[in-house]
Amino acid sequence: MTSTDELTLLRRVATKDRKAFEALYHLYYRRLFGYLLKLTRRVDLVEEVLNDVMLAIWKGAASFDGRSRPSTWIFGIAYHKGLKALARRPAEVDGDAEGGPEPVDRDEPESLAARRELAGVLGRALGSLSPEQRAVVELTYYYGLAYPEIAEIVGCPVNTVKTRMFHARRRLRELLPGMGVSGYAG
Amino acid sequence: MREQEAHGERVHQRVWELLPWYVNGSLAERERERVETHLAACLRCQEEERICRRTAGEVAKGGEVAPAPHPVQLQRMLARIEESEREEKESAGPWRLLAPLRSLVQATPRPLRGALVAQAAVILLLVGFLGWSSLRPTNQTFVTKSDPAPAPVPTVRLRVMFSPRATEKEIRELLQGIRGKITAGPSPSGAYVVEVPAAGDPTDVVLARLRSEPQVVMFAQPAAGGPGEAAQ
Repeated sequence: MTSTDELTLLRRVATKDRKAFEALYHLYYRRLFGYLLKLTRRVDLVEEVLNDVMLAIWKGAASFDGRSRPSTWIFGIAYHKGLKALARRPAEVDGDAEGGPEPVDRDEPESLAARRELAGVLGRALGSLSPEQRAVVELTYYYGLAYPEIAEIVGCPVNTVKTRMFHARRRLRELLPGMGVSGYAG
Repeated sequence: MREQEAHGERVHQRVWELLPWYVNGSLAERERERVETHLAACLRCQEEERICRRTAGEVAKGGEVAPAPHPVQLQRMLARIEESEREEKESAGPWRLLAPLRSLVQATPRPLRGALVAQAAVILLLVGFLGWSSLRPTNQTFVTKSDPAPAPVPTVRLRVMFSPRATEKEIRELLQGIRGKITAGPSPSGAYVVEVPAAGDPTDVVLARLRSEPQVVMFAQPAAGGPGEAAQ
C-alpha cells in the first residue's frame, strides 16, 4: 500500500469510518508490534501500548495535517506512547523482559521468536542502549529512514538524532563481537 | 595550513556522522555525493562504513517478529474505542453538540480555520439571540449538585471462551446479537468476561444463543456468582 493509499485510509478514519480503522489496524499491527518490541524490549507492554497508539489514531486522525507521511505520524505516536509506558511501568528489578506477564497470544510461535530475538547477542547489545538511542538505531538500520524523518518521529532536532546515533554506535562497537575495530574512528 | 587541517577535520566529522544514513541509502543527493567524495580518500571513514554496514546487517537480521493480530484483539480494541467515546460524551455534557464543529475545524486547512471559527461564532450568536428573543423562558427548572446521579445500568457477567477458528466478524456479530461487551480477559485459560444488560433477555436465553454457535463459542457459562449476579 502506498503512502497515498494510507493517507486516504487515514482521512476515512478521521470521519470515524470503522471499516477504514479496521483496515488500518490490520495494516499497522505487525509493524507497530515489531517497532514497539524493539523500542521497549518489554513483551508485556507491547499489546497495551499498541492499543494506546491505535486509540490515539482513532481520536486524532482529523488532526493529521498531511505534512509528513502517515507512517511517520503513526510511528511518532508509537515512540512517545512507548516511552511513556516505560516511564509509567519500569522493568522489574532484574530488568528482564522475560519477567513480565505473558502477552495475549502467548502460545503463538511468533511470540517465542520475539523472546528469542530479545535474548540474542545483538538483542542484548541493543538492550544496553537507552530507548531513545535504540529507537534511532532501529529506525535507521531496520526501517531505513532518513535522519530528518527520524527527528520528526522522535520529536527532536536532527542534531540530537545524530548525537544519539553517535553514542549508540560507540556503545554497540564495544559490545558486539566481530565488529573488528581497533579504536574510535570519529 | 592549520586552517586547512581544521577544515578537513570538520568535513571528516560531518561525514562520519552521516555514515549510517549513507549506508541505509536515505541521504539526499548532495549529501551522498559529499560523503562519497570524502570516503574515497579517508581510510578511517572507509573502516567505519564497513562497521555501519555490518551493524545494519545484524539489525536487519533481527527480522520482524510480530504475530498477526488475533480477531479477539481487534474486538477488544473496538470495545475500547466505544468505551472511550461513551466516556467522552458523558464528560463533554452540552459541549458535545460542538464536536462536529471541532472535527470540521480540524479538517480545514490552517489558513482558513480562523475565518471558519469567526463565521461559526457569528452564526451561533445570531441563533442564540433569536432563540432568546422568541422563547423567553417563563418557567425554569434547575438541577442541583445534590440531585442523584443516573444509576449505572445493571449487567450480567458471563464467562465465554471463543473458538480459535472464530473470525473477528463472527465474534462481533454474536456479541452485537446479545448486546454483550467484553469487559475482561483473557484469563490464563483464554476465557473472557462478557457483560450483557440485565434488563435484556434472560441469562438462559443468552447462554443458549452463545452455545448455539459452537464454531464461534467453545463454552459459555455464568461468571462466578451465578446467573443472577449483576454488576454495576
